[in-house]
Amino acid sequence: MENAALIALSRQMTLRRELDIVANNIANADTSGFKVEGLIVEEETVSHARNFGVYGAPSFVLDQGVGRDFSPGAIRQTGRPLDVALEGEGVFFRIGDPNGGPERYTRDGGFTSDGEGRLVTRDGRPVLDSGGAEIVLDPTQGEPTIAQDGTISQGGEAVGQLGVVRFDVLSVLSKDGDGLYRNTSNETPADATDAQVRQGMLEGSNVDTLVEITNLIQIQRAYESTARLIENLNDLSRRSVERLGRVG
Amino acid sequence: MRALRTAATGMAAQQLNVEVISNNIANMNTVGFKRQRAEFQDLLYQNVQRMGAQSSSAGTVVPTGIQIGVGVRAGSVYRITEQGTPMHSGNRYDLAIDGRGYFQVLLPSGETGYTRAGNFSVNGEGQLVTEDGYPVQPEISIPQEARDVIISPTGQVQVLLDGDPTPQIVGELQLASFFNEAGLEAIGDNLLLETAASGPAVVAAPGEPGLGTLLQGYTESSNVDAVAEITALIVAQRAYEMNSKVITTADEMLQAANQVKS
Repeated sequence: MENAALIALSRQMTLRRELDIVANNIANADTSGFKVEGLIVEEETVSHARNFGVYGAPSFVLDQGVGRDFSPGAIRQTGRPLDVALEGEGVFFRIGDPNGGPERYTRDGGFTSDGEGRLVTRDGRPVLDSGGAEIVLDPTQGEPTIAQDGTISQGGEAVGQLGVVRFDVLSVLSKDGDGLYRNTSNETPADATDAQVRQGMLEGSNVDTLVEITNLIQIQRAYESTARLIENLNDLSRRSVERLGRVG
Repeated sequence: MRALRTAATGMAAQQLNVEVISNNIANMNTVGFKRQRAEFQDLLYQNVQRMGAQSSSAGTVVPTGIQIGVGVRAGSVYRITEQGTPMHSGNRYDLAIDGRGYFQVLLPSGETGYTRAGNFSVNGEGQLVTEDGYPVQPEISIPQEARDVIISPTGQVQVLLDGDPTPQIVGELQLASFFNEAGLEAIGDNLLLETAASGPAVVAAPGEPGLGTLLQGYTESSNVDAVAEITALIVAQRAYEMNSKVITTADEMLQAANQVKS
C-alpha cells in the first residue's frame, strides 16, 4: 500500500477512538461529578518509512493520551442532607476500599448512610474523614449538618470531618469507573484546607452537550473525507494499472 | 465500534430517568409520597494505551495513556425524604409528621410496614387503621361513646367522653426512625419495609430527639415539585436524543467505511 493510504488509515483509527470518547461524554452528560474527556492527537513523523524523498518524511496521526477537563460542573440543589458538592478545582473526597485496596477519590458527593450509620457512597464504599477513618452517624440525633469546611455535626456536636484532598498534578489520576479515581503516582495528596463543601447540593457533569454534538459532526465529516481520500487512491491505482496494461 | 454500545447505555439510562420522573408526576397528589431521583455513574474504563510507554522515536513518554469509558449505568434510584407540605383536611384521624419518622402499620402478613401517609380512619371495632384497613401500631382503640378525639403533637391519643369534662388517654402513638431511610424498600400503597440497608427501626414517642411531632387534622402532601419534574423530563428527553445522534453518527461512519470499496 502507499503511504497516503496508511496515513489516511491512521487518521481513521484516531477518529474512531475520538468517537468512542465523545459517546462516553454524551452518555455521562447527566452523571454527578463526571469530568469531560478528549483525545489528544499528535503528528508523528516517521523518517524511516519508504518514500521518494520528494515531499519530506510522511507524518502519521497518533493518539497520545486522553485529556480530562477538571473544571467544575454546575452545582444543583437536591434537598438531600447527605448530598455534598465540592467547590474548587483539583480537590476530591477520600473514599476507602472495603476490600483493602488503595484509597480512591471522587467528586461525586451523593453519599448515604448504611444500616450501621456509616457514611458511604452509593456503592457502599466508606467515605473517609481527614484522618483516613470512617465516619459514623447517630440516627437518633436527627439530620446531620455539614459545614463549609466539611465538619459534620449532629445535635450540635461534631461527629467527623469529610476528608478532602488536593492533587497538584491531575494527570496522575486514572479512572476506575463509578465516579472514582485512583492515584497512579507515589505521592500522597495534601489535605485541601481551602476547599468548600456545600451541603444539600450535587455537582453535575461538566459535559457541554453542544460542544460534544459539534465534535460528533466534525468527527463524522473528517471520517467521511478520509474515506473519500482512500477511495480516490484506490481509483488512482486501479486506473494506472488499466492504462499501463493497455500500453503493454 | 464502542461508540454504538456506549450510546446504547446512555439511552437506557435516560429511559430509566424518564420512568422515575413519570412515577413522580403520577404520584404528585399521593399523601406522604416522597419523590425519587435516578443517579448515574460512569461504567468501567478500558486502558487502550500504555501509561508511561514510549510515545515517539525521540524517547518521549506518554503521561496519561488512553482510557476509554464504555458508558453509563444507573447508580441508584433514591427517595428524597424532604418534608412535604402539611395540608389541612379537617379529618380528626388525619395525622401529618412534622419532621423525621414513620408510622408503624401491622400488615396482613404479620410484618411491620412503615408509612408517612397519616390519612387514617377508624374501623368497625374502633381501631385506628390505614386506608387499606391495616391497624396502626401500637394499636389504638377509640371507644364508641367518644365525643371527640384529640391527638397531641407527642402522640397521646385522648378522647372526650359524654358527661366527663377531663379527656381520657386511650393510647400513645409511636414513630420509627432508621439509620438509612433511603434503604427502605417500597412495596406500594405508601408502605415501606425495613431492609438490611436501612438498619433496624428505632421506635420512640414523637418529639423525642431525632423524631418529628404529629399534626392532627393534616395530611402530608407529596414533596414532588411539578416544575422541577417537567424540567428534568425535558433534560432527559434531550439527553436521549443526543445519545441516539451518536448512534446515527457511528452508523454513518461505518457506512462511509463500507463505501470505500464500491
